[in-house]
Amino acid sequence: MGEATRDWQEHPLRVKIIGVGGAGGNAVDRLRMSDPGPMELAVVNTDFKTLDASPLTEKVMIGKTVTGGLSTGGEAELGRQAAEADRAELARMVEGVDLVFILAGLGRGTGSGAAPVIAEVAAEAGALVVAFVNLPFSREGQRRMRQAEDALAAMREACACVISLPNDLIVQQAEGDPTLLEALAIADDWIRRGVQAICSMILENGLINVDFATLREALHYRGGKAVFGFGEGSGDGFVEAALRDLERCPLLHLPDNRFLRKTDGLLLHIRGGPDMPLSDVYRVMDFIGERFGCKENTVLGAAVDGSLQGRVQVTVIGTVDVTGARRHPFRVPAAARPRPVAPPAPRPAPVAEAPAEHTAPVAKTVVATPRSAPPQETESTGAARREKHPPEGQAEFEFLVGEDRGYFEKTDENIYEGQDLDVPAFIRKGIRIAV
Amino acid sequence: MPRNKIIGAVEIGSSKITVLIGEIEGGRELNIIGSAEATSVGVKKGEIVDLSSVGRCTHAALIAAERKAGVQVDEVFLSASGAHLEGFTNIGTVNVHDADNWVSEHDVHTAGHSARRKALPPGRCYLVHIRGAACADGREVDNPVGMQAAKLELKYWNVHADERRITDMIHIISGYADGLSVEEIIPASVASGRISASDDERRAGALVVDIGEGTTDFVLYRKGHIVHTGVIPVGGGHLTNDLSIGLRITFKQAERLKLRDGKAVLEKGDKEGHVMLEGDLQIGDRPIPRLAIAKILNARVAEIFSIIKNRLGSAVSAQAVPGGVILTGGSSELPGIADVGRDVLGVDTRVGTHPAWVTREDLRDPGYSTTLGLLFFGLQGQSLGERKAEAPKAGLLRRLFK
Repeated sequence: MGEATRDWQEHPLRVKIIGVGGAGGNAVDRLRMSDPGPMELAVVNTDFKTLDASPLTEKVMIGKTVTGGLSTGGEAELGRQAAEADRAELARMVEGVDLVFILAGLGRGTGSGAAPVIAEVAAEAGALVVAFVNLPFSREGQRRMRQAEDALAAMREACACVISLPNDLIVQQAEGDPTLLEALAIADDWIRRGVQAICSMILENGLINVDFATLREALHYRGGKAVFGFGEGSGDGFVEAALRDLERCPLLHLPDNRFLRKTDGLLLHIRGGPDMPLSDVYRVMDFIGERFGCKENTVLGAAVDGSLQGRVQVTVIGTVDVTGARRHPFRVPAAARPRPVAPPAPRPAPVAEAPAEHTAPVAKTVVATPRSAPPQETESTGAARREKHPPEGQAEFEFLVGEDRGYFEKTDENIYEGQDLDVPAFIRKGIRIAV
Repeated sequence: MPRNKIIGAVEIGSSKITVLIGEIEGGRELNIIGSAEATSVGVKKGEIVDLSSVGRCTHAALIAAERKAGVQVDEVFLSASGAHLEGFTNIGTVNVHDADNWVSEHDVHTAGHSARRKALPPGRCYLVHIRGAACADGREVDNPVGMQAAKLELKYWNVHADERRITDMIHIISGYADGLSVEEIIPASVASGRISASDDERRAGALVVDIGEGTTDFVLYRKGHIVHTGVIPVGGGHLTNDLSIGLRITFKQAERLKLRDGKAVLEKGDKEGHVMLEGDLQIGDRPIPRLAIAKILNARVAEIFSIIKNRLGSAVSAQAVPGGVILTGGSSELPGIADVGRDVLGVDTRVGTHPAWVTREDLRDPGYSTTLGLLFFGLQGQSLGERKAEAPKAGLLRRLFK
């Protein structure tokens, strides 16, 4: 490999995966075990005990002044206060990171309360924020559900893309009667697939790579909804099998988005063995573009994985602009980013040309961001953005109230004892249906 | 009577709008002379979501029915359903006026009045007040007039509804033809209960559950009186929707599959069996496990019954309803549904049949029980002298919109 490659390895895109709260922390732990590659991992929690037990190196304790190192006891407001209290610490954590994944289980205290604040802080620092959040089982009751829904709305405000994974659906993917551990592993596996799809698109060398700016462009419908699905196929006609599997993915058939035929931005990632022909890749792309009504704005990534001989995995992330227009372009003005004093000094001029193809301009500025950026600068810009944020948030929230409920759209809520009766009974009861 | 009265029974349901036209001969005899149904567009869970298209559908059904009958309808009996219907029990108490404690009509009237006059929150209106048991000094009697008692209590089941939704329905009917008035609006549960349960069953105590497309309407009888009615905004449409989500097929495919191969219970042999989605050997056809279909439908049907059980509490048990649970409505045709009902409610459950006087083959479908019940109330309204105690008294509405 030439010198150019080495240079850009020294200044790679920084991707950080942050687990917030108990569930988020567990998800990150599990990711750690499946070799996350160049991604940095971090956990944030209010509970000292849980944090102490985590094997990760980067741990951020929030809300010492609020909860005194104990957990929030399921109170989302406490979680929010805790995160607000340690905003500066959180800002340090996401400083200079280009792509932040936030993993959290919504419905309880830290996840619901702190995750939206962390997303906001990360977005302020200029990162592209993608969140994977678990929604509680219907069985867990109305209060949890309500906290989760509020948090989800707040997350959609702050993140470029929020992918919600209802726990009710976990059981649909499991074999037989899953144990609790298995069920949680499945949920984490969904997250892993999503994180991996996005990361390998921009980090790995594959058939088709995507640069960071394109990714940012595709995902930037702030306040919008996201759909997430994947399919896997093997054997003869593995491409067709994968597409069929994708079509049956329960995540694409939530009451929320099952009638979704039109997305505004689409991210398609194909992962296959070395024997995957390019023609297949394009065939998949055509099919998916057709299926989601998004031929123009489809971002395609394809990676080769030696272990996937004769198999293919297709992952789709689509964003829908529920607010009608691109009201919140996600591109962060250069001024808002903590800037280094000087342009990247260690980089020799001739070499700097080479990585231009791989990484976006945004990424390049970050590369040289000193870890110890003056904190007061971050603080002040953060405060300035916070000031104008609330009214925006207020306006947008109203759009999110009327969720799309498939066949029962535009009808009154059908809440009985905390459960929406319009959601299939078998999903709420956790009955597995093998198709 | 110069000529026979022509009444129309109209049910604006979630899957279809049904119109029956009845001729009342001499005030005592009812002939069904016309019927029609139209696919309902714009009704979900028993409530109108698109007024103009529901109006068009209803008018089309009325035109078709009038054409078949060859006469015009004089007045309309309408059924109401949807989650906005609510009910409560109220007891009116009077000290008997007469010095010797002989209960008079006047006492009954006063007690009834005090049971019905409870004020409703703004935007709500009474639909019907249904008289229940009377208590003369603690003795439960059907008709206390002429008895001796110091204190008279009258129990009423009052059903109230969202005013707007009711006026919407009335506007649809009055928009059909000049002067066509809505004579009475009756909760769908009350109407189908009257048809599906026999006099004996109602006297013994019975629960009638009408599972339609958008709603499940139930009515509980004790000693011949209505003691509870209710609406659950879940019906056959949810069964279809669940299938469509669970099996990842379109709503239309799911509806066909439900009607063709739907089953509410798991049977032996279902574990391995498959049915083809379309059965036409076309591309896209695929085998669907019977087990999956049964599991999905079972979960939903069982939930409907358990909600009823929760709502009624101890009022539904083998002792309290010796007449059993009677199922009706379009979705009651789902095989195995009665077995699920028996399991959940713990009471003998069966799919009801219409009384023998409904001779027309096409009206024996359980989907007609509400409209047949409406006609029955229409007939009763004509022969006031025979009006039974349980018949709904004209509500506030009747006076308001006449």
